[in-house]
Amino acid sequence: MQFRKAISEIKGLQYLAEELDLKSPMGKRFLMDTDMFCSEAELNIEYGLLDQITQAVKADQKVISDIQSKLSHLREIRGSVDNLKSNLVLDDVELFEIKSFAMNCHAVLNLQKELKQVVIELPNLSGLIEILDPQNTGIPSFYIYDDYSLELAEARKELRIAKSTNGDSEIKLEDLFCKAQEIESKVREEICTKIRSFASDLEIAIRKLAHLDLLIAKAMQAIQLNFNRPELVKESTSYIGMFHPMVKHELEKQNKQYQAIDIELQKSVCLITGANMAGKTVVLKTLALCQYLCQFGFHVPATSAQISLVDQVLLSVGDEQSELSGLSSFASEMMNVSKMVEESKKHSNVLILVDELARTTNPVEGLAIVNAVADIFYQNNIRSVITTHYSGLNSYFRKLRVKGLDKDLGDKIITQKNINSYMDYSLVEDNTGEVPHEALRIASLLGISKEIVEGAQNQLNKKASKEEIL
Amino acid sequence: MPFLKDIEKYKSLSIVGLEKNTGKTECLNYVLSRLRDSHKQIALTSIGIDGENRDQVTQTHKPEIELSEGMMFVTSEIHYAKRRLFAEVIDVSNQTTSLGRLVTAKAIHSGKVMLSGPANNAEIIRLIADLKEKGVDLTIVDGALSRKSLGSPAVTEAMILATGAALSANIPQLVFKTQYVYDLIQLAEINPELKPKFRGIENGIWALDESGEIKDTGISSVLMIKNKKDQLFQHGTDFFVSGAITDQFLDFLKNQKQVDKIRLITRDFTRVFANPETYYAFVKRGGRIQVLDKTNLLAITINPVSPDGYNLNSDELKLALETKLQVPVYDVKKIVGANAVS
Repeated sequence: MQFRKAISEIKGLQYLAEELDLKSPMGKRFLMDTDMFCSEAELNIEYGLLDQITQAVKADQKVISDIQSKLSHLREIRGSVDNLKSNLVLDDVELFEIKSFAMNCHAVLNLQKELKQVVIELPNLSGLIEILDPQNTGIPSFYIYDDYSLELAEARKELRIAKSTNGDSEIKLEDLFCKAQEIESKVREEICTKIRSFASDLEIAIRKLAHLDLLIAKAMQAIQLNFNRPELVKESTSYIGMFHPMVKHELEKQNKQYQAIDIELQKSVCLITGANMAGKTVVLKTLALCQYLCQFGFHVPATSAQISLVDQVLLSVGDEQSELSGLSSFASEMMNVSKMVEESKKHSNVLILVDELARTTNPVEGLAIVNAVADIFYQNNIRSVITTHYSGLNSYFRKLRVKGLDKDLGDKIITQKNINSYMDYSLVEDNTGEVPHEALRIASLLGISKEIVEGAQNQLNKKASKEEIL
Repeated sequence: MPFLKDIEKYKSLSIVGLEKNTGKTECLNYVLSRLRDSHKQIALTSIGIDGENRDQVTQTHKPEIELSEGMMFVTSEIHYAKRRLFAEVIDVSNQTTSLGRLVTAKAIHSGKVMLSGPANNAEIIRLIADLKEKGVDLTIVDGALSRKSLGSPAVTEAMILATGAALSANIPQLVFKTQYVYDLIQLAEINPELKPKFRGIENGIWALDESGEIKDTGISSVLMIKNKKDQLFQHGTDFFVSGAITDQFLDFLKNQKQVDKIRLITRDFTRVFANPETYYAFVKRGGRIQVLDKTNLLAITINPVSPDGYNLNSDELKLALETKLQVPVYDVKKIVGANAVS
């Protein structure tokens, strides 16, 4: 899975990607092209680099900001390098870009030496710079300098003299110009041949600088948003103080507190129950986000985390555009879940996250579907989470319940605006299999029409008395 | 030529032709030739495309722009590749125009080049600022007055206007048309404190009420005025018009009873697209137009020859313009010719 594809599935990931302070065009492309890390060893190397950069960001802010300033001057030179590789002659603008790129690369190479340790080894392009800066000015501007060829210098001198004396005819001047231009072309060809051997170094440099840019941006984001490096483990994935950065940011804008949660996922199915508005979906989305962040080499939004790597994250949150495929929301959900079941039967190493499974159908069959799907995940030891409202779940499934509203609120008035401060979002182990019946309570707190709440309450009362009679 | 002394006071100058073949390029080349000996770093660019060897429309001779050694210029990649001089690449822009990215370069030898440049105001302003940072003392913009152009030469501090027989082959008519543009260039600038309020507005007609607050009239364009007459005056008679001020709009306003209290504010004089007759009628009845950006008109140059063969009397035209307008008028070709003889 490429990052490009992952951000189209996970909004939280896209949000973080957009907030990343990447300085160079190649940094952005590098991130988009990143493949998910599925090997612990590789990911640990990447995390090692990120740790070094994080330390540097904290200790040597000045050097890091100098490096970033150089990175921001980088231009996309892929096309020019490709032209160089395929034996084409570059024009002055391309040569200028290569020269300015090489100079910036060299500057970053030197700046890194000021850090405690060099994090990304860059190729040495001083040989290339020497060719493109024959006067050794250190200025990135470029033209075919007189220094390259005596013949060119002579031809240009002749033209200059001819122009200043004014006596020569247009045709003569044109001739002289063409002659000088011809020599210039020849010299340009020679320069391109000389610098051709640097093409592969340039390619490496592009990739390395992009990587460095990304590491700095990740480190800065992690510091700013309080992300931490997860420990990579084989068994249970667990988070302490896990939060969703986008939701947290939204709440902070409204002067509200975000309640971080703790959760542990074993290699089995786990059902999350809880009242409406209790944040079940956010838990699910945060789990997906954290898994991706980790496997794309980011730190994760949690105080501490232990993460077991997977080959694939399968997510069903029911807000997909099913209209487009011409399927009902139920049908498109079932198709999606069917894929998940196929994967789990293969015993693939996946993380499966399903929000409100079978919510759009009747509760009797819905419950049956939840139990059946959960059973398959259970049998195959698939790390999976399903949120649901249904009561009567098989007792051997592990169940977590969102604590929800305090039972005893006294005479506090709860509204849609402050419900957040009375909701306890923490997860507790729950063995009853019964789901809290708080829908009406929450609906009335939200101030929806009394008729609905009272009507529904009457229905429930009638049903209860009928059962009593029976 | 005295106006050249004035040029040196400014950081940016535009040279604008009132019509094709009014001698703008000759004027530009003349200005450049006179600046050759000053120790100022000059940079040259254009709004959109210019400097074609042959005029694309009329196929008449159109001189290329001659740069001297050390001058900087900004042009698109495509035109840069066609340069007839040796130059040093100093920078390449990140944004692209229809002709590729913009290359900033410095002439190593004198020679000719085709100019093209950024197409809208924000980018021209950014480019001028960028050039200043690169050590340029004066940026000269080869400008055009075009209804289609998003870029306006009025963003430069100073301006030279090129007019001539191509605009009209009849001297009184030519003077009248030139005077109209002259009058528009002289439109007063609004109070500088008010300017930031209008800067970001991109569409609609906005009212400025008595307390200095700006209010949306709810009228999205002057074309909608017919249907929404009643909404226009709800917040007073001072308006900022983001788009063009058209004939129809001024015609409508001049017939309102409040006309003598109306003040229109527009980005710059190039936004006024009304006929001179309508504009003068509006002003005569007491209406006013003011601008956010005013430029200083340094001089008017004339080209008495039109592409279809009319040849006006240069001295007569010069005199006629000078009597009407308080600005020096020059026939550049005549000066160049005189210099060549002497």
